Amino acid sequence: MIRIYRQLLVAQIQAAAQYRIQAVLWMLFSIIRPVIFLAAWTAVSTAQGGSVGGYTTSDFAAYYIALTIVGHLTTAWNSFEFEFEVRQGRLSPKLLRPLHPLHYSVVENLVWKVTTFLPLMLVCLVIALTFQVKWSGEWWHLALFVPSIVLAAALSFMIGWVVATATFWLQRINTVNTLLQRTSFIFAGQIAPLALMPIALQVISYSLPFAYVLAIPAEILRGGVTLERGLLYLVGQAVWLALAIVAYRFAWRAGLREYSAVGA
Amino acid sequence: MVRYLRMFRAFAASEFQFEMEYRGNFYLSIFEMFLVIGTSIGAVLIMFGHTTTMNGWTLPEMIVLLGVYYLIQGGVNLVFSPSFERLMEHVRVGTLDFHLLKPVNVQFLVSTRHLRVVRAADLGLGLVVVIVGLLQVGAQIGVAQSLLFALSLFFGVMLVYSLLLGLVTLSFWFVRVENLLAIFWAFTEAGRFPVDVYPLWLRVSLSTIVPIGIAVTAPANAIAGRMDAVGVALLGAGTALAVGIASALWRRGLRSYTGASA
Repeated sequence: MIRIYRQLLVAQIQAAAQYRIQAVLWMLFSIIRPVIFLAAWTAVSTAQGGSVGGYTTSDFAAYYIALTIVGHLTTAWNSFEFEFEVRQGRLSPKLLRPLHPLHYSVVENLVWKVTTFLPLMLVCLVIALTFQVKWSGEWWHLALFVPSIVLAAALSFMIGWVVATATFWLQRINTVNTLLQRTSFIFAGQIAPLALMPIALQVISYSLPFAYVLAIPAEILRGGVTLERGLLYLVGQAVWLALAIVAYRFAWRAGLREYSAVGA
Repeated sequence: MVRYLRMFRAFAASEFQFEMEYRGNFYLSIFEMFLVIGTSIGAVLIMFGHTTTMNGWTLPEMIVLLGVYYLIQGGVNLVFSPSFERLMEHVRVGTLDFHLLKPVNVQFLVSTRHLRVVRAADLGLGLVVVIVGLLQVGAQIGVAQSLLFALSLFFGVMLVYSLLLGLVTLSFWFVRVENLLAIFWAFTEAGRFPVDVYPLWLRVSLSTIVPIGIAVTAPANAIAGRMDAVGVALLGAGTALAVGIASALWRRGLRSYTGASA
């Protein structure tokens, strides 16, 4: 398996090298939204005399820069790509190969994130300077962030695959994707740090998986959680990841029976 | 002029029939739009749960702004973006030849030939949001103000149009410009807040490179009575200039088009 992955990685890095500019451009999508909301919250915070509900202006900056990094590292576009492959009939030859299609997209995903990480950090640096960010974390926040971001990326990736399998039944999953993205828009901490949401929305946020992908790793990276809380969050992430994997295996097996190979 | 209007009506009718072939998809798109606008309003409400003003904008004014944002997006996505998507495809494959042979203004044809009819619903919803916001503002809206609003809205759409035209014209030289459009769409999202909340570097890129900032903020300002006739006239002049430059670029690009497999 390790040898297969090494080969795939080499092939994918070569493929990605051809589309360097494209990769950097798509990175913009990870950046724009957090910056927009950061700017808006900065305006709100200024209007309120420098802080809102315990978040100072520089806390907002730290949160949204953390959210940018987390959002980038947890991006997963498999549901879009998978729908395309099913519709074009490209899935069929992939299914005949001895390796599960999932592994190819793991490698694609990793290579994109690794190759765009440096430019992303440069942009984050510019944002950090513009908004006068102040990091208020301890060393163990960083230590906690490492497993948290790995779990979050895996969770986002698996959610993407669960949604992707919906293609087997629905053919077009635009609407499912929009529904999911807008739910994540509200409940994943993109609009506001979870602590600033109305209580009812906070309860929903903590019981849906989306915050475990974005808001929670971002809060950990910002240094906004106690150690006990951070560990509890990690458990929550692990539970959601396990659930997503189970759901995926179930949906994949049932969906494959439904698959009629468009264009075959 | 009448001839062009009649032509546009024919385009719309044929595209409507086309879209109604996928009725389920049509209704789902409308549902999506409700979802998108609803959650966007939710976002604004959550923020204003913590404050009464954002850079001098009150909640009702922000709702108006959001409505304008969806009006402009709706207008652009209804006509220009589906037409331009096809245009880029025509240039790449070489089928633009067929358009060039027709006895009409080619720029008109490639800008309006295709519609995504379902996006008309965005226009309707955007208008509803604007009206709801205005009712909350509670101010008297005079005829003059409504006129300034309509004018600046039109200028805003045309400003975005000229930018899009300029970008897709680049496809005559570079063939693949989808990536440039991707940047454009990424930046468009910033129109959901008034342009003055952004830091300088983003404001500059929003209002000059991507005029969506101006396009959205100006009409919202006009209806809130914060922009006078002079401002709207300046906006109109700027828009005319932008459309002129984009059209000139378009003609220049068309000359370097070499046709199918030529």
